[in-house]
Amino acid sequence: MPALLEVRRISRSFRGLQVLRGVSFSVEGGAIVGLIGPNGAGKSTLFNIVSGFLPPDDGDIIYAGADISRRSVPDRSYAGLVRTFQTPQVFRHLSVRENLMAGCYKQTRSGVLANLLGTPGSREESRRMRRSADAACEEFGLTAVRDRLAGELPAGQQRLVELARAAVGEPRLLCLDEPSSGLNTEEVVQLMNALQRLNAQGITILLVSHDMDLVTIAPVIHVLCFGEIIASGPLRAVQSDTRVREAYLGV
Amino acid sequence: MPVIARVHEANARLPLLKWAGALLVVALWAVLPALASRSVTDMLVFTALYSIAGLGVSFLLGQCGIVSLAQSVFYGVGAYSTAYCCVQLGWPSAAGLLVGIGISAVVAVAVGWPILRLSGYFLALATLALAIIGHVLFLEWDWLTGGTLGIGGIPPLSFMDYQLNSPQRFYYLVWPIAAALLWFHANLLRSRNGLAMRAMRDAPAAAAVLGVNIRILKVRMFVLSAVLGSLAGSLFAHYVSFVSVDSFGVDRAINFLLLAVLGGAKTIVGTVLGALFITIVPNALSRFGDIHAVLFAACLIAAVIFLPDGFGGAIARLTARMRAGDSRS
Repeated sequence: MPALLEVRRISRSFRGLQVLRGVSFSVEGGAIVGLIGPNGAGKSTLFNIVSGFLPPDDGDIIYAGADISRRSVPDRSYAGLVRTFQTPQVFRHLSVRENLMAGCYKQTRSGVLANLLGTPGSREESRRMRRSADAACEEFGLTAVRDRLAGELPAGQQRLVELARAAVGEPRLLCLDEPSSGLNTEEVVQLMNALQRLNAQGITILLVSHDMDLVTIAPVIHVLCFGEIIASGPLRAVQSDTRVREAYLGV
Repeated sequence: MPVIARVHEANARLPLLKWAGALLVVALWAVLPALASRSVTDMLVFTALYSIAGLGVSFLLGQCGIVSLAQSVFYGVGAYSTAYCCVQLGWPSAAGLLVGIGISAVVAVAVGWPILRLSGYFLALATLALAIIGHVLFLEWDWLTGGTLGIGGIPPLSFMDYQLNSPQRFYYLVWPIAAALLWFHANLLRSRNGLAMRAMRDAPAAAAVLGVNIRILKVRMFVLSAVLGSLAGSLFAHYVSFVSVDSFGVDRAINFLLLAVLGGAKTIVGTVLGALFITIVPNALSRFGDIHAVLFAACLIAAVIFLPDGFGGAIARLTARMRAGDSRS
């Protein structure tokens, strides 16, 4: 399958400190790809560059055959590239259902004027968003809490809300930043199942994680260390790589 | 009776209660000018005018997380446009109103585009600067605004020779307009753009990831707020028939923000309650003479301490508690 995402020779420095040094890797369409690395390896910087929150100093981000390196976050989102955050960013004062309805933003088109007047089209759109949100609540096991404010939920459920909200927008590439941090073992298993289910629906997943249990769902893993990819391949091969053991696993 | 049956019964009663309550409010509203004095009706007209302008500020603050102290500028633009078009140019009222709305929208885009990149205190200060600049321009451009002398002789609004030249008559125009605007904003709140703006308020980065163009949405909402300010200003000019720079100072801008905070910016109905507070309370306290400003300040402090979410928030909490109680009993 052709690559959906190609990261080409990405470099980035902050005040003279080189955080990324010509990083290149690709993510095939329909795959689950893991990106691991010790603290300070540059994972978050790379993630911010891929999702459009940071511009690279050098290099290109090629997504679905087009160079998106200079495109805005919403533009990338409309193209199907969606991310989650290391600290769950739920809309705290919105209910779980409203969070998921907001996730349908891209599938809707009505303007401010139509919304103000409450035109039949605008109302129908809201009903459609509500139906999609309710279906996603069901799929992610959030039905029991769908009327609660998202900010009142425990961290594990907030992660699930964030994931469901990203999924309801029908992304092509879902970039997940440390999705298992703060989750207990049972919740991690639930998350793994959800990710595998999304992948089976055709969503490509790029996964940044410290959690070795979680990255087992990724057939291909890239290891980032001090701003460079030092190893790529299946988890077992990566784990036995000498450089990885030295740099990342510390053995 | 089983608990579930009681909950169903309570839920079934709710729409009926809502309708009965709404009917009571409408009936009270309709008969109020006949029962109340001219000065009370006048205050209620101002409450509606401030509700319209304040709705813009309240919506920006509560739903978009934007603190705006610039509403006095748009209020002034609306009032002066109406005054100039109707008095100097002899244009009909609708033209003055539309000119005001057009100028306000253009100013809101021109100013909003650069300043809405800011947030928090910096944005508040930028809008305060806009209020100060607006006030100075209203004063200095006397060829347009009449300066300190203002512009008088603005004709009252009229429909088919029926002139709205008394508080009682104006009351029946301005309140339906305010109610319609509140309803429109309630619609907006429930729609895709309403969700997008609340998402932007809570977590801007996550909203951007969902495809929301934060800057454009902020500018659109700023324009909408400016249009409301201008509309209220135009109505104000027709109502009082005289506009002067004193009505569009920084104190007016602060009043609009105060109205939003006191009312509870997260609720739409709170805007009306906030407007009621800032019109009625100072008037009621004026009988205490020189000390009335101190007493008003004390009332504000008490309101902020005891009602941190404003009147609207307090009502929402109370309703939620009553519903919970209903479900338990």
